[in-house]
Amino acid sequence: MGRVIRSYEEGDDITPLVKEMTQDAINLFEGSAGNTGPSQFTDEDAAKEVLGTEGTVASGRMSLTFAIEMMRRHFGADVFNHTGTVDLRFLRPVRPGDTITFGGKVTGTSKEANGSRISVDIEVKNQKGDTTGVGQASAIVPNAYLAPEDL
Amino acid sequence: MENSSSEDAFDMAEVDDRIELDWEALEVGETFDKFEYLLTQEMIDTYRKGVMDPEASFPTIAHKVDVRQYNAKYTDAGSVNARCAFHCYNPPVAGKRLTVTAWIADKYLRRGKNYIVTEAVSVDEDGRLIDRVITHELKQPTEVGKKWGG
Repeated sequence: MGRVIRSYEEGDDITPLVKEMTQDAINLFEGSAGNTGPSQFTDEDAAKEVLGTEGTVASGRMSLTFAIEMMRRHFGADVFNHTGTVDLRFLRPVRPGDTITFGGKVTGTSKEANGSRISVDIEVKNQKGDTTGVGQASAIVPNAYLAPEDL
Repeated sequence: MENSSSEDAFDMAEVDDRIELDWEALEVGETFDKFEYLLTQEMIDTYRKGVMDPEASFPTIAHKVDVRQYNAKYTDAGSVNARCAFHCYNPPVAGKRLTVTAWIADKYLRRGKNYIVTEAVSVDEDGRLIDRVITHELKQPTEVGKKWGG
């Protein structure tokens, strides 16, 4: 099988990722690490006490995970799981019942010792169109995957 | 064996000897005791269900290891994650023990609010570098509740 040439250009869209947030999903995320006690993520009373909110919120780390998934799907696990980065700022809460859409756009490429770093701007919006997070991400695509003219 | 009951009683006392956070006094560069844990297949499976992604490769994210040792040492009014960066190096493998080194990477005051930046690196028992996580936590969590409108 011949090698698959990949091409990345400034302005390219990253395939969006949509997630439906549920309290069950939040509980599983927290529970996977043994965090089973009440917290602002899993318990309404704790959320009111700690944050002053009327309901629970999802950990920002869940949004971080989804941004990583979007990038991994776009660049491939063989690339992203070894060279990927995501840096996300959380602007608004994500709550159970929210539908959040992750999108990205390639902002540039730069040479690295072992390939080309593809930089991406990320934006996260909820079902109301409010931005819940923004950030940057990148992956280093090995030279072997790039066309000779891109090296 | 006679001593075991008194030891158990001591263990059950659960004395909270954590230090109340003094943000001004907190030193950037403070490195916490190493934290070790066994990553099980059950942890990975539960994480993947929670994030609705059967190929999710970094269940370490849910372990919040960058703030775990901070929270073991300090007590505060709680926090809100304002920003988080994650670097992928190698997906962790079920059944391997992970060792985490975490430290205070920075602290800053913005719009009258205190932030702490923690950073952590995870390595598995074979010496494989797993990931790096950097988190900015706002230390006045009720401020965001007001901003978010309850």
